[in-house]
Amino acid sequence: MLEIKNLHATVGGKAILKGVNLTIEAGEVHAIMGPNGAGKSTLGNVIAGREGYEVTQGEVLFKGRNMLELEPEERACEGIFLAFQYPVEIPGVNNTYFLRAALNAQRKYRGESELDSMQFLKLVREKLEILHISDDLLRRAVNEGFSGGEKKRNEIFQMAVLEPSLAVLDETDSGLDIDALRLVAEGVNRLRSDDRAMIVITHYQRLLDHIVPDRVHVLADGKLVASGDADLALKLEEQGYTWLEQGGIQSLDVELRA
Amino acid sequence: MSELAQQWSETLRSANQTQGPRWLDELRLRASDQLTEHGLPHRKDEDWKYTPMRVLEKLNPAIANKAGGVAADVAVDAANEIEFPLALLDKPDYELRVCNGVFVGQEGKDRPGVTVLSLKEGLERYEPLLRKHIESVDINGSAQAFAALNTASLNQGLVIHINEQTDAGTILLRWALSGSAGPSIHNFRVFLLLADGARMQLMEQFESTDHGGSAMNVVSHLELGTNAVLDHFRLQNELENTVLMSSTRIEQAEGSRYNYAGFDLGGGLVRHELKTVLGGSGAHAAFLGAFVLDKARHVDNHISVDHASAGCSSEQFFRGVLGGRSRGVFNGKALIRAGADESSVRQSNANLLLSPLAQINTKPELEIYADEVEASHGATVGQLDEAAIFYLRSRGLSEAAARRMMVGAFCKAVTDKLENQALAGRVSDMIDEAMPSYSVEI
Repeated sequence: MLEIKNLHATVGGKAILKGVNLTIEAGEVHAIMGPNGAGKSTLGNVIAGREGYEVTQGEVLFKGRNMLELEPEERACEGIFLAFQYPVEIPGVNNTYFLRAALNAQRKYRGESELDSMQFLKLVREKLEILHISDDLLRRAVNEGFSGGEKKRNEIFQMAVLEPSLAVLDETDSGLDIDALRLVAEGVNRLRSDDRAMIVITHYQRLLDHIVPDRVHVLADGKLVASGDADLALKLEEQGYTWLEQGGIQSLDVELRA
Repeated sequence: MSELAQQWSETLRSANQTQGPRWLDELRLRASDQLTEHGLPHRKDEDWKYTPMRVLEKLNPAIANKAGGVAADVAVDAANEIEFPLALLDKPDYELRVCNGVFVGQEGKDRPGVTVLSLKEGLERYEPLLRKHIESVDINGSAQAFAALNTASLNQGLVIHINEQTDAGTILLRWALSGSAGPSIHNFRVFLLLADGARMQLMEQFESTDHGGSAMNVVSHLELGTNAVLDHFRLQNELENTVLMSSTRIEQAEGSRYNYAGFDLGGGLVRHELKTVLGGSGAHAAFLGAFVLDKARHVDNHISVDHASAGCSSEQFFRGVLGGRSRGVFNGKALIRAGADESSVRQSNANLLLSPLAQINTKPELEIYADEVEASHGATVGQLDEAAIFYLRSRGLSEAAARRMMVGAFCKAVTDKLENQALAGRVSDMIDEAMPSYSVEI
């Protein structure tokens, strides 16, 4: 589904990604871990097409199509969703209004009929119920005055409505207390499916107790240095990233990549 | 520019408009002298320093409102041809039309207690009252040149009188310029007199068809008696070559409420001056507005509130969105005189600049000489939040749709304050419709 080949990217002229290779199949959940500044969020933003992230080399193929030549909205319409690390507050823009416009833009792109407000409301209520989110969310402006937990749940809610084929969750656990973390993770798990892939970017193993990944990758200094199963995350949690940087990774029984 | 004023003044004199009461004929001549002597406003006039006058040079100095009635006939013909493009309301109680500076038509059922007259008829019936208003207009100096011009050519106007305790419903006043008679400046005077306890909704709509670059110079007098209520809505969606100078003078008695909401979505050079005097305790004035501009449009809003009595309140709340090479000016003044204790004043103007060549000059001013005053004011200038735009795009909205959504939300702060929900929705739609022509580039 997603194929990233030798991806190099700079931010403000500074090289951040230095040759990332990653293949993800439909139905898989991959976790990307790594220390601060390794380039985890950059990877998510490059996939989503954020301005200011310049790709200098490499390819991002999604369902065989080169994403790097598409605008962010086209990537979204193709089925890519980025759950933001810091969801943006947009005063005055109603959550329901925004989400319906977004869904209809995507449906239009795919040649499907647009949903009227009644159809949309029905869909949205179903999703809210599945995720156990109060419909109070619908009446509010996008993320305005939301707590950290509410913002992250709103991201998951949007994902549930837009039904992407690839979701990139950028530190969805950051800023959440244990209860909020569990709720968000439950929401994500409900959205796992055979035809949907996910990339879970996180600092901590904690989230992966709830969202158990098929593969775990370690990103350090702009490259994936190791890949393994869920146990790799546990090992990292135990030893810390310093240990990793000092070469500790060599002692692991994992696929060494760099 | 003083030559142009002189030309205008001479044209007026040669038109020999001696037809009204003697005091008015004399006043016209005096105004014409003022115009000759001081010329048009220039950059040194503080209130005009951001208003470009050059566009006026293109105007033919001929004054459309000639006494002989020829201009009026032309205007009526032109008005009959005009498709007024859009009605804000399906059915106002009353509709009045002014085309090329001439009152050309009215529709609607007569309502007891509501009188609508031409200026000529009005002067016969309410002479002392109209005289008081006409003579109250300052015509001295270059900064008052458009008031002087309007006075010097004063022979076309409209008088609306609402009796005590009468609800006049909604009056729609439609303005248009039309025809190819050559670019002219058309002057017009409005009197809206609400007796004690009267109430009404005045909706003004400025929307012209092709007119070859003419101008309107409108002076309005709004008088609110004790406890009178006037909701005043103004929509300006003019052509790129339309010049509109409007000066609205409001006098408010005790307990009266004046609620203005003005939306400028078009025009070439547009200037609204709104001045109210809160002359009786408990009077309230609110000025809301939004200007959403592209191309090389210029819109000024000059608002001045004179708190002359105690216990009055006023609010000014404006939002500006500027793209292309457009220019906006917001100048909101509030004066709280000595003795006007327990006054409350709020002023706010926030602006978005969508293009590097767009410009806004904003100046909220407060002058306070009283005690126990509650006052706040603020102005901001910013750009659309690019992080928010990316957020919206990342969900599938096009960049244009994302920007439109953000601008709509910014202006919604104003439309949300309108009590008439249907009207608020209509205005929001119009703001949205206007949007695609906004260019982020130049």
